Amino acid sequence: MVQSLIRSQLRLGLVVTAGFMASLLVCWALVRWVPLFTDWRILGVPAPWLLLGVGAYPIIGICAWLYVRAATKNEDQYRDLVEEK
Amino acid sequence: MNPAIGYAALIVVSVVTAVIGFYGLRVSRTTSDFYVASRTVKPWWNASAIGGEYLSAASFLGIAGLIVISGIDALWFPIGYTAGYLMLLFFVAAPLRRSGAYTIPDFAEARLESSTARYVTSILVVIVGWFYIVPQLHGAALTIRTTTGLPSWVGAGAVVLVVVLTVVTGGMRSITFVQAFQYWLKLTALAVPIIFILLTLSGGGSGPIIPAGTELFPPPEAIDGGSTYRTLSLLIALLFGTLGLPHVLVRFYTNPDGAAARRTTLIVLGLLSIFYIFPTIYGVLGRVFLPSLAEGGSPDATVLLLPGALIGGLGGDLLSALVVAGAFAAFLSTTSGLVVSLAGVISQDLLGGSVRGFRLAAVLAAVVPFGFAMMTDSLALAGSVGLVFAFTASTICPLLLLGIWWRGLTDAGAVAGMLTGAVLCGAAILAGSRMGMDSPWRDVLTQPAAWTVPAAFIVTIVVSKATKHRRSASLSRFMTKLHVPERPLAQENPRSQAS
Repeated sequence: MVQSLIRSQLRLGLVVTAGFMASLLVCWALVRWVPLFTDWRILGVPAPWLLLGVGAYPIIGICAWLYVRAATKNEDQYRDLVEEK
Repeated sequence: MNPAIGYAALIVVSVVTAVIGFYGLRVSRTTSDFYVASRTVKPWWNASAIGGEYLSAASFLGIAGLIVISGIDALWFPIGYTAGYLMLLFFVAAPLRRSGAYTIPDFAEARLESSTARYVTSILVVIVGWFYIVPQLHGAALTIRTTTGLPSWVGAGAVVLVVVLTVVTGGMRSITFVQAFQYWLKLTALAVPIIFILLTLSGGGSGPIIPAGTELFPPPEAIDGGSTYRTLSLLIALLFGTLGLPHVLVRFYTNPDGAAARRTTLIVLGLLSIFYIFPTIYGVLGRVFLPSLAEGGSPDATVLLLPGALIGGLGGDLLSALVVAGAFAAFLSTTSGLVVSLAGVISQDLLGGSVRGFRLAAVLAAVVPFGFAMMTDSLALAGSVGLVFAFTASTICPLLLLGIWWRGLTDAGAVAGMLTGAVLCGAAILAGSRMGMDSPWRDVLTQPAAWTVPAAFIVTIVVSKATKHRRSASLSRFMTKLHVPERPLAQENPRSQAS
């Protein structure tokens, strides 16, 4: 049972990491390769600067929040299983 | 700049740090207090303390300096510094807290049941800590040189003196309060001046204005294989280096349980995200108003000089004093965090773990990097801290990640992996620093994480597989301890049983 808890926590960590890496990759591609995006300005600030200077942080926050929620749920499920026995 | 500003800021920050340190002293009495503050620190305090400890010279001065030099590419640094905590949250925070070990070497010994593995880990932790302190002292030297004109050793020496005094007298409990205070000081010291600067610039009055036609935000330089590799390798170093930093990890033991460790990390991520907006603005404005700093070879002074350059008179002086105070808070907090964790390791492994041994070890932990900092020249602060992250990611990171998540890790595998990472990464950094600017190998050697981290992991796994008979006897019990949630009722945190 402990083994399955460890496996599900590890799987969760890897999945969220993969999602996070993918979104970083998208950011990087937007900044580097999408002229439409690089020419776009919001209040005079070019979109690439806004994305890397500000926009990346909410992505990190969302990933962290999703992870904590799911990891706590895994542990609660494990606890329920143990108590049923 | 008026030298009095530098003196005043230095003295005020030192005195306040010492006062909070002594105040905390009254509640710290036993050896256990000295090491981990009795594990009674609340998540908000703890998160502020982690933020205070983590935001070093590289964050406070280095990022703005790097933006002045290399524009938008520098923004990957703060993203990596923050995202490192994400990896820490996913893979390390809760299990490590549950492991019950005080330090990384304790963890290595408990997981691998090997005193050799413990010894190797200790040495690497001390190396990482020492080389992380050196850029802090370089930053202090730069700040004192820029603001008062005094010789470099005065700045570095002042930091070492204040840190050793607080650590030796207060231990970790008071350090927690000092660090938490210093996060908020650092945030204020960057935020308040930049608000005044932006108001002045947008006021359109007699003050400085951004010259018409100036490009505040230069587009990225033309893309090539080199820059792609550098960004990738840097991100690997920062993502996987953070989770091995000794002063960051020791903080997680002060959480009451694994769930609180996660909650603390979540708050830390928020605190860092807010902080990193500000150095970016300093960097952008510094490019326009202080271009001479980059040409003169000290772009890291941008943050220190920008308020005085844009706002004149008494207001400018006060704001400058605030920034200098914040910079000193950065050097003091990171250095003291490192000195505490290094002293813990040195005293437990070499001096018997007594309180007296801890004090002696604290002196040792601070004086050695002081000597090293005096013998070397300051590189770009963000860059030299980045190299420490690469080294940590190549050595401590495989031990922690595989130790926590893979039952197959053996002591032989861990030692082989750590040594491989240390030798490859150390050699690459040394060779890279001697390489000519136009050498094709320069990028590969000066940003080594992209190949040294996988190499360390592969060696660890292969050697572990070849030495299956060496798996520790108490493995199953230890893995259970790491991953099974604590009983919710036993701890004072009601939210862990929610949902």
